[in-house]
Amino acid sequence: MAAKSIAQEYLKGLWDENPVFRQLLGLCPTLAVTNAVINGIAMGLATSFVLIISSVVVASIKKLIPSQVRIASYIVIIATFVTVADRFLAAYFFQISKSLGPYIPLIVVNCIILGRQEAFSSKNSVGRSFVDALGMSTGFVLALLVLSGIREILGMGTFLGYQVMGAWFKPWIIMILPAGAFITLGILIAVALLIEQKTKSRS
Amino acid sequence: MNLSTRMVLVLTTVGLISGGMLATVGILTQKQIEKNKQREIKAAISQVIPGTKDSGILFEEEDLIVYGGNDETGTLIGFAVLVSGTGFQDKIKLMYGMNQEMTKINRLAVLEQKETPGLGAKIASQETFLQFWENKDSSGALKLRKPAASSSELAASEVNTITGATISSEKVLEIVNLSLDKVKRLKKEGRLKKEDGHGS
Amino acid sequence: MELLALFISAILVNNFVLYYFLGICPFLGVSKKIDSALSMGLAVTFVMTITAVVSWMINHWILIPYKLDYLQIVSFILVIASLVQLVEMFIRKASPALYQALGIYLPLITTNCAIMGLALLAALKNFSFLKTVTFGIGSGLGFTLAIVLMASIREQLDLSDVPKPLKGAGIALIVAGIMALAFQGFSGMIK
Repeated sequence: MAAKSIAQEYLKGLWDENPVFRQLLGLCPTLAVTNAVINGIAMGLATSFVLIISSVVVASIKKLIPSQVRIASYIVIIATFVTVADRFLAAYFFQISKSLGPYIPLIVVNCIILGRQEAFSSKNSVGRSFVDALGMSTGFVLALLVLSGIREILGMGTFLGYQVMGAWFKPWIIMILPAGAFITLGILIAVALLIEQKTKSRS
Repeated sequence: MNLSTRMVLVLTTVGLISGGMLATVGILTQKQIEKNKQREIKAAISQVIPGTKDSGILFEEEDLIVYGGNDETGTLIGFAVLVSGTGFQDKIKLMYGMNQEMTKINRLAVLEQKETPGLGAKIASQETFLQFWENKDSSGALKLRKPAASSSELAASEVNTITGATISSEKVLEIVNLSLDKVKRLKKEGRLKKEDGHGS
Repeated sequence: MELLALFISAILVNNFVLYYFLGICPFLGVSKKIDSALSMGLAVTFVMTITAVVSWMINHWILIPYKLDYLQIVSFILVIASLVQLVEMFIRKASPALYQALGIYLPLITTNCAIMGLALLAALKNFSFLKTVTFGIGSGLGFTLAIVLMASIREQLDLSDVPKPLKGAGIALIVAGIMALAFQGFSGMIK
């Protein structure tokens, strides 16, 4: 396998290996917090924070950790930064932390994070791990933004709380309900696959 | 160094460093988080008992807390009841304020609810629901009016039902009536007393 | 009575998968065959019940009395990881037949957010011990119900002609959406 350039390392997280649409990782938070754009963004940023810092830490100490205890060490490292994010939100963004409820602590079991440590940071340099984590985070935030954008606009007629649909628009309540989350994500994943197939067959 | 010592060593070090970091962050944020929680309760109390300057817990058990609200001279001017109960979907947590005699509900505030968005969730809306709870007669049980009427047509102990969310409205009414009964009984038995250390 | 209401609502009204969105990975991953879905469901129920007990004890006997609530996330995840290991070792010794049935699903449970979610939700809602245990069993059974229903639908789906891009995760999520809609009908049944 030819070494990737730094730019490619970043860009792969946006589309080719997008954690949500292509790898189907981290679906629980993706479904649970995307009823409003603000929640989606907060969740995306909190996850990015944990992912980027954990990747850098794991990449810098990877040589010291015997492989038998690597998973346990990664989990402790991840859990530490999740707690930091959780406490920070509870202290300075109380409303957001309340509306996200248990989903911030649940970042600890988000497969994207442990998955990147195991698949990437434990084998690559600090710099590359940072770029990789940055790319994956951007991909994750984008996915949350698309999903929560669609759900908030169709479900409430607003975007980030601002009215974007005219008075004629009757909100589709189903989009805010759990059912709307599943159906929208199902359709988005199918669309992503379709685009991928179309571009592949052309090249 | 053999492998098992190294394993133990690495895990202990990772554990210690993370423990240290967490303790630091925990202590640094503790005060602010406590403050946020208290501020939320205080804001709700001064909303449901207008003119409150200071408040304290009078009675506390699972799902029910009674606060006493005082004015600037320290005289008791009303009670705020924080109560939660089962709603249509999940728990509903609400607070209502009453005068000293417990004969009038000043206001109702819904603090937490996960009712159906667009339907049951209207129980948290001032316009469609909460405004009908202002200054209600609470000497007996409250009743729901269905279909909804304008505020002037409602009797002193009647509140409006939300169109399309009858169950959620009924649940709120049920939570209020049940707790009302209980709080009045507590008052009669003289159990609404300020506990030491809870005054703030 | 209150416990019964909590139990039923954990299974039907506030279903772990369809309402809280927890445990989506195994819900999509292990729902191709009914029998493996059932084994996964039972394994999760089993671990959930034990987790409910242990996490309650840790929370109420260690973390709260010593004001160590900032260690909640770390201690819960470590407890779950070691619990899964212990359960696996115990079942292998005690009942090889059960191990055959559940064996490969047990390690997967560590990263199942439903288990961690259970511990956190019970702590967040400040449940008493009995309530926590009831909540654990109910949630586990709710998960089992959802994953078995899903598997039986997917077995039928295999026989039908699904558009290519929708195959796999796409159609599974849409089916889950319709199931969530159906479960919505259970709301309000708890008096």
